[in-house]
Amino acid sequence: MTDVAHAHDHAHHSAPAPPTGWHRLTAPGWLRVLWVTPIGFGLGLGLPVLLRWAAGWHPFWDGTVLVTIELVTTPLFFLIGLGGFDYWAHYASGRPTRPEDHSGHGAKSWRDYFRINTDHKVIGIQYVVTTIIFFCIGGLLAMMFRAELAQPGDQFFNPQTFNVLVSNHAALMIFLFIIPAFAGLGNYVIPLMIGTTDMAFPRLNALSFWLLPIAGVILVAGMATPGGGPSAGWTCYAPLCSHQPLGQVFFNMGVQWAGASSIMTALNFLVTIITMRAPGMTFWRMPLLVWANFTTSLLVVIATPFIAGSQFFVMFDRVMHTNFFEANGGGYVLGYQHIFWFYSHPAVYIMMLPGFGIISEVISVMSRKPIFGYRLMALSLMAILVLGFSVWAHHMFVAGMAGWLRVPMMVTSMVIAVPTGIKIFSWLATMWNGRIHMTTPMLFALGFLSMFVIGGLSGIYLASVPIDIHASDTYFIVAHIHYVLFGGSVFTIFAGIYYWFPKMTGRMYNERLGKLHFWLTFTGFNLTFFPMHYIGLQGMPRRVADYAGRFADINLFISIASFGLGASTLVFLYNMVYSWRHGEAAEGNPWRALTLEWQVSSPPPVFNFDEIPQVVGNPYEYGVPGARHAIFGAPHPEPVGAAD
Amino acid sequence: MRRGSVLQLLGLGAVAAAITTAVAVLIPWLPESASKESTRIHFVYWFTTVIAIVVFAAVVAVLAYSIIHFRARPDDDSDGPPTHGHTTLEIVWTAIPAVLVTAISIVSAIVLAENGRAGSNPLVVKVTAQQFAWQFTYPNGKTYGSLTVPKGRHVKLEITAKDVIHSFWVPEFSQKQDAVPGQTNSLVITPTHLGTFPVICTELCGLGHALMRSHTDVVTPAKFADFMKNGANAGPPGLAVFQSNGCGSCHTFKPASATGKVGPDLDDLAAAAAKANRGPLAKFIEESIVDPSAYVAPGFSDGVMPHIYKQIPPDQLQQLVQYLSQGAK
Repeated sequence: MTDVAHAHDHAHHSAPAPPTGWHRLTAPGWLRVLWVTPIGFGLGLGLPVLLRWAAGWHPFWDGTVLVTIELVTTPLFFLIGLGGFDYWAHYASGRPTRPEDHSGHGAKSWRDYFRINTDHKVIGIQYVVTTIIFFCIGGLLAMMFRAELAQPGDQFFNPQTFNVLVSNHAALMIFLFIIPAFAGLGNYVIPLMIGTTDMAFPRLNALSFWLLPIAGVILVAGMATPGGGPSAGWTCYAPLCSHQPLGQVFFNMGVQWAGASSIMTALNFLVTIITMRAPGMTFWRMPLLVWANFTTSLLVVIATPFIAGSQFFVMFDRVMHTNFFEANGGGYVLGYQHIFWFYSHPAVYIMMLPGFGIISEVISVMSRKPIFGYRLMALSLMAILVLGFSVWAHHMFVAGMAGWLRVPMMVTSMVIAVPTGIKIFSWLATMWNGRIHMTTPMLFALGFLSMFVIGGLSGIYLASVPIDIHASDTYFIVAHIHYVLFGGSVFTIFAGIYYWFPKMTGRMYNERLGKLHFWLTFTGFNLTFFPMHYIGLQGMPRRVADYAGRFADINLFISIASFGLGASTLVFLYNMVYSWRHGEAAEGNPWRALTLEWQVSSPPPVFNFDEIPQVVGNPYEYGVPGARHAIFGAPHPEPVGAAD
Repeated sequence: MRRGSVLQLLGLGAVAAAITTAVAVLIPWLPESASKESTRIHFVYWFTTVIAIVVFAAVVAVLAYSIIHFRARPDDDSDGPPTHGHTTLEIVWTAIPAVLVTAISIVSAIVLAENGRAGSNPLVVKVTAQQFAWQFTYPNGKTYGSLTVPKGRHVKLEITAKDVIHSFWVPEFSQKQDAVPGQTNSLVITPTHLGTFPVICTELCGLGHALMRSHTDVVTPAKFADFMKNGANAGPPGLAVFQSNGCGSCHTFKPASATGKVGPDLDDLAAAAAKANRGPLAKFIEESIVDPSAYVAPGFSDGVMPHIYKQIPPDQLQQLVQYLSQGAK
């Protein structure tokens, strides 16, 4: 249990004097990175060559082996240089650990965002900014291949480059934007919302952030590999991906780093939410964002090891010549898809449930009404969590898996529409009779609501086995996943960023630009993705650099619309950068919200609360006279679980 | 709720339903059906569409009504009424979707079972996919690069792959099935319309994926009997080998009307052989087919050309080499 008094004792300590002379080279930081990383590189290069030489294995220089090992050792030593393991290394080596002086806490200048920082608020911002950078890169890749698709035939890119662009667009958007963007928002908001000072494991939290840029750099660097980058799609189906050029290894390994980051954050969320809630914050008093991240974290912890497994097996098949998925060697080709989708379908909910949480916050606050059916909203999250593990094979209706599996998987996939429907109807009922304020977060929430209904309904079509047999692997799928992941997840991320921007930066964003951004994105999104339903059903397969001439006009239209959609992001970036520097100062609670993060200053103090709040009621009691969610200054708060 | 509000809500719902229905009906979303299976799938599609229109219209109507009527003025700091829930309503909107998806599931399961029936006397065609071509082998042992089937008879495709996963799809038949190395999957098609339809690979299978297309001819039973007896009128034997191995997906070769751009242009073979300087033209061609890594043309990368063509039977390989050498002169 976090000891608040302890935090206070140290909060005003001055940071230790900056290292001088040679100590600057050994102190954690970028100077140490500069000489430690090459050691890792050298080890990754030298050890395998030496061992192969000693064993007499030819060739001594095997590119595939070296790249695989390098993608482990170099990032690992980078982290050592940066100081990700210092505390544990001290502890493990029996040296006295440095007393926690909180010098790694908080950000006083922009430099503090570029080091190992244990403050969940700094980490949250590190996450969000990093993921937006990868969102922009992923979007640029999309516009590049849309340029190629503006006309049939070869224009700008050969098929290899085209496949790389498509694969990395999806990989970056999923692994480096949507999943970690939610982790970032959750990181910032969850400890504040449950009334505590930080995450349960601040050092693990810092480490899990720094794994993310590593994963991103690996994926982006893979594109520049001689012979071509990863080009087997983000699904990376075996055996195709085991026989791709060297760049494919960058995908296999990059996903591991992103997955490890994801698992570590989820563990941290779980422990934080279970053990560190403020006194009085029972599970049934938690805001739905916390509920959503709780269920998501369970999904991550259970499911993500499966994608790690699938990528390890593929890597083994390639590097060590095992035969997990090689039919010729007795392997089971479809085994890859079963393992992959056992993660990647729950991953769809990993990318959606935190968004549900954000939307619940925004709609309740902006409609000035309690969430309609709060308990059913929380229970439906749990229902999606459980059902989410029973539907993976609906991605494999045409794959040739056991025939009997198709109908049960169809039924479970259909049933997931029920808890999802409950959420949609409850949000509508929350707005009913409310006092709706059409702010930018609310616009994105309503945009999400309408677009996600379309994505959900096209999901019903795809859950039906016969329709899926027709529509599978066509542009209908591309349309569906973008209505779910863009109209769904990305809109909720935008809603969350605008909603908490005043809290995170202490400044207000420009409302007019925010609304402009919404309308441009909403329009561009629909013009880009709605026609894809049509060309898909008509017969255009996905992931093709060239297509039948009859789809030329509509593809040109889609390409132009996608450039407009891409350009709308410039409005967002300008608004964020300008408002962060020059926006008007935000008060503590500009939305008049009841949840705890709004009861402190914007941005919050380094340790969040000057005194730990006592939670006395539900978080959404708008319109209830005299209702309080929490009170400050209660005598002798008893921490939750202290009696256990 | 006041009566006026109910009427207005219903009105909004009707408008939303009308617009959605117009979008669903006026745009020809599905290709013309050309098989019994496809007609059944289209039925499931329309069954689902009716339900989807109702759900979508209901959500949009409530959303639009709320935005119109419950919008607060900028200076309005009041809160809405503290409604926390309504048990009956929550049961209703749990039950209705459950009933609807159950209905769709039942219809889908029936159609799926129907579409898997091949009858007692199906025509069995073995389909073999490889990078980047389709091969269709008939009961009489003959193999073609395109599919010819009789109208009205059940056709059972037994689908497999040599290298990576591919997927067989004819949009007008609606039926689709992955071709997976190491296993045979079956797919039933009962053509109902004469004509020529595209065969498309829908599973990313490598560089030539986009061009891994063929076609299917649906012919009358009489014509099909003739086809089974005499085969298709073919050009030189090497052309058939060229087509059934999918060379045209990656290579340009005028005599075969191939326009692929992934690999070197085979119309320039003579010049390329001279430049490579690896023996006579025929030897150079054969080596490049069976061992593509031995010499890689400048501007191209090793590993792009699959190594599986050493499996081409010797007589066919000779036909192919001869065909390519003649075209190169």
